[in-house]
Amino acid sequence: MPQGDVPAHGTPVLDIRDLQVFFPTDDGLVRAVDGVTFTVSSSQTLALVGESGSGKSVTGMSIMRLVERAGARIAGGSMTLTLSDGRRTELAALREAEMAQIRGREVAMVFQDPMSSLNPVFPVGDQIGESLRIHRGMPRGAAREAAVGLLTQMGIADPTSRVDAFPHQLSGGMRQRVMLAIALACDPVLLIADEPTTALDVTVQAQIVQLLRSLQLARRMAMIFITHDLHLVGDIADRVAVMYASQVVEEGPVAEVLARPAHPYTRALMSCIPRRGEAGAPPPRMQPIPGSMPSAIDPPWGCRFHARCVYAQPRCAAAPIPLEAVSADRATRCIRWREIF
Amino acid sequence: MSALARPSSSGESRLLVRAQGMRKHFHGQGQVVRAVEDVSFELGEGEVLGLVGESGSGKSTLGRLILRLIEATAGHVEIDGTDIMGLAPAQLRRFRRNMQMVFQDPYASLNPRMTIGHALAEALLLHGICARSEVRGRSAQLLAQVGLPAGFLDRYPKAFSGGQRQRVAIARALASKPRFIVADEPVSALDVSVQAEIVNLMKDLQRNLGLAMLFISHDLSVVEAVSDRVMVMYLGKTMEVAPTAALYDHPAHPYTAALIQAAPGNRHGQQKIILSGEIPSPAAPPSGCVFRTRCPFAVDACAQQVPALRPVAPGHYKACIRDDLEL
Repeated sequence: MPQGDVPAHGTPVLDIRDLQVFFPTDDGLVRAVDGVTFTVSSSQTLALVGESGSGKSVTGMSIMRLVERAGARIAGGSMTLTLSDGRRTELAALREAEMAQIRGREVAMVFQDPMSSLNPVFPVGDQIGESLRIHRGMPRGAAREAAVGLLTQMGIADPTSRVDAFPHQLSGGMRQRVMLAIALACDPVLLIADEPTTALDVTVQAQIVQLLRSLQLARRMAMIFITHDLHLVGDIADRVAVMYASQVVEEGPVAEVLARPAHPYTRALMSCIPRRGEAGAPPPRMQPIPGSMPSAIDPPWGCRFHARCVYAQPRCAAAPIPLEAVSADRATRCIRWREIF
Repeated sequence: MSALARPSSSGESRLLVRAQGMRKHFHGQGQVVRAVEDVSFELGEGEVLGLVGESGSGKSTLGRLILRLIEATAGHVEIDGTDIMGLAPAQLRRFRRNMQMVFQDPYASLNPRMTIGHALAEALLLHGICARSEVRGRSAQLLAQVGLPAGFLDRYPKAFSGGQRQRVAIARALASKPRFIVADEPVSALDVSVQAEIVNLMKDLQRNLGLAMLFISHDLSVVEAVSDRVMVMYLGKTMEVAPTAALYDHPAHPYTAALIQAAPGNRHGQQKIILSGEIPSPAAPPSGCVFRTRCPFAVDACAQQVPALRPVAPGHYKACIRDDLEL
């Protein structure tokens, strides 16, 4: 298991407190992120897990300050990043020119679909070297050499010829390796990986997960791994933050949260994923969660999960529920956690 | 020999579908893409055969060949004794009521300009299932069967969530009272909580109606939840077929073992077989065993000839020449 390989408490790299990101729409204000709090440290992977519409990807895009381009507003909260030189900066307060110095250098991001992130008309080597030329002022020849080195680190065979390949000449798994080479070129302190293996076949997914894990440990980098797949969380992450209806509802060490969830939603999510049966026996029936996720325009007052929760009581709907400490490094947004835990 | 005969333990169910020597070659750009290469299987009444494989394995193409949604290059399909390949177009249209398909994307498989009631009525009238005067009542019954209220009949697909649309697509497939359903990645586009609902619904309907089903998915855990038997495909060929529990507990083919171990959350602390590389192009498949270029156990003999599907236990077959492996 990955836990245990690393110190439980590295140096905090990104500390997010009560982040709020709103999108104005014709139908009203979409509260896409509405109270997200977590910390991710060096050499540590935090999995941000949730269903579609939970706000996990918008959280990732907010850290990169890419949400404003999509019409959103960072309406509240803080995102404190510790840079590679040890200085701290408040990402939410940066001007675009300042953020451009951070993006790709201190914080990098990879996405689900490498084909739409890569430029089809340039060789991959140019695209890997680009950020080194921009951020480090590296001459073209040196950037190309660095690109070959990065491709080697990403486990690409024959890197000296692949550096001149165009994206369409590479397989899906190789394109994702190229995306990683681009993201890691400037040694970022934080990598945000948004469903990076979702479009890949399972055998290739396993390769990329193993690669991410080893790269992250070797570089002592912090990583936020955004995924809908709880199974994958146990394989890659040290900590997990579970998102529901734009909020973090539970956060803590992966092994502890998966073994003993402290929020009814985490518990419900785990019982609706298919599980292996006991040897020779059919697998247990999955338990779906009744109802659907509430609107992000007019979320329920009180606990946002209460309408679907088997433990709900009238008081759950009476007032917003704060994230409460369960132990030194675990928190849950449930007032009944002591009874169900 | 019928290498894909069902295990004798399931012998009580009557044979419904027999596919033999299925082949599909696509021609283009001077290449021949061998999407499906000599695949056979049998399916009993009320039985679910799971079909797993990665992209490029040919699993979706095989599903379409069986229903003759695309024409096979070679092979025979018999459904309840009828030779599907021999049917004239008009006969095939009439026969289609017996065999239906559910697709991955309910957004694309429902006409956005047609109310749900209209879509169901079309299916009912096309197959002559009931008189026009009974259509409304029958449609409401179909919706009830998939857990939706009759009030949905007058609404358009855009009013529904992904899970509700997939329920409608299932209701439409059931309209003609089919006996055989091909479901191609029916829950892959859905969130896990919705996925669980749809998997449970399909399993219940399949049991209650005694449907035979070919359930195609890349997701091993979903396939395990619904299938009686599982067939594993790689690069157009069958690697292994077995009763579900046997396949997952005692995989006999290195590819099956690798797939099971590669699935997230399945490692139980043991060393994973992580396959190197990716699936080769079906336009240039390796000689001999098509999996040998990624197989950690490949020997010279694997390149020499195409391994036959051989029994390793009752109802359990593998296409691998090595019997000395501890998987």
